Amino acid sequence: MTPDNGGFATAAYIITAIVYLGYALSIKLRERRIRERLARLDASARPPSSRPAGA
Amino acid sequence: MTSETDPHPLPAPRPDFLLGAALLAVAGLYVRALMFTPIEARQGAAQKILYVHATSAIVGLYIAFGLMAIASILYLWLKDEKLDRVAESSAEVGLCYMTVVLGTGPLWGKTIWGAWWTWDARLTSTLFLWFIIVAYLLLRGAVEEPGRRARYAAVLGILASLLVPFIHLSVYLFRTLHPMPIVLKPSAPSMPAEMQRTFFFGLLAFILLFAALLRARYRMATLRDLAAHREQEHG
Repeated sequence: MTPDNGGFATAAYIITAIVYLGYALSIKLRERRIRERLARLDASARPPSSRPAGA
Repeated sequence: MTSETDPHPLPAPRPDFLLGAALLAVAGLYVRALMFTPIEARQGAAQKILYVHATSAIVGLYIAFGLMAIASILYLWLKDEKLDRVAESSAEVGLCYMTVVLGTGPLWGKTIWGAWWTWDARLTSTLFLWFIIVAYLLLRGAVEEPGRRARYAAVLGILASLLVPFIHLSVYLFRTLHPMPIVLKPSAPSMPAEMQRTFFFGLLAFILLFAALLRARYRMATLRDLAAHREQEHG
């Protein structure tokens, strides 16, 4: 007789989706933080004459 | 953002079509495995864990940690920082795959063996490798000087990868509860054709996902190094 254990398979597929999606999202978030850091560095390194008025 | 004379221009962010395609392929695997692949008579629906567990193990162990080892060896020879970034990225993506393996394995084990975990050679050595890769990433965060960090990490990465053949052979060398390989063995895969098709579809989907995650992680590491370089320039 085939055992009724579909819940275990469902749980495994949910865990898999959470780990892979979570990891992909973590890469994107870390990349965004680094881009913001780079933008701040660029802004602080730019000579004052090239900054927009009032900045 | 950057001046025309900037030797390290900042690449513009763009949509990641490869990652999108890979996630679609994995979603396709979910539909195929859960809705269109027959249930194994003796094990029940829990056998379908195979399509995410074994495929992730193959990609994580052999492709991710294999690439980490090759890039580490080449780094020690050529001292090219790109190779260090490949090794680092491959190790982290491989850790993600092995987390899935260690997360889904106990669910399958509970239904077949009646136990979530057993300290047999295959499971214990896989968990040990997982901890070594965590240590590898912690080491990278702890050493500040880039050259020394890359060198130490390369040595640890090569040593960690030596566990991979041991993990593969552990089911032959020791008496284990973990089953023998059903695909990576000299004879033909011991599965019905329809299950084989789902398995290989899953394997391709996870290889594509590995390529997409590796590329994204490598790009992030390149930007991080660029930021560190600029911070050094600006004092």
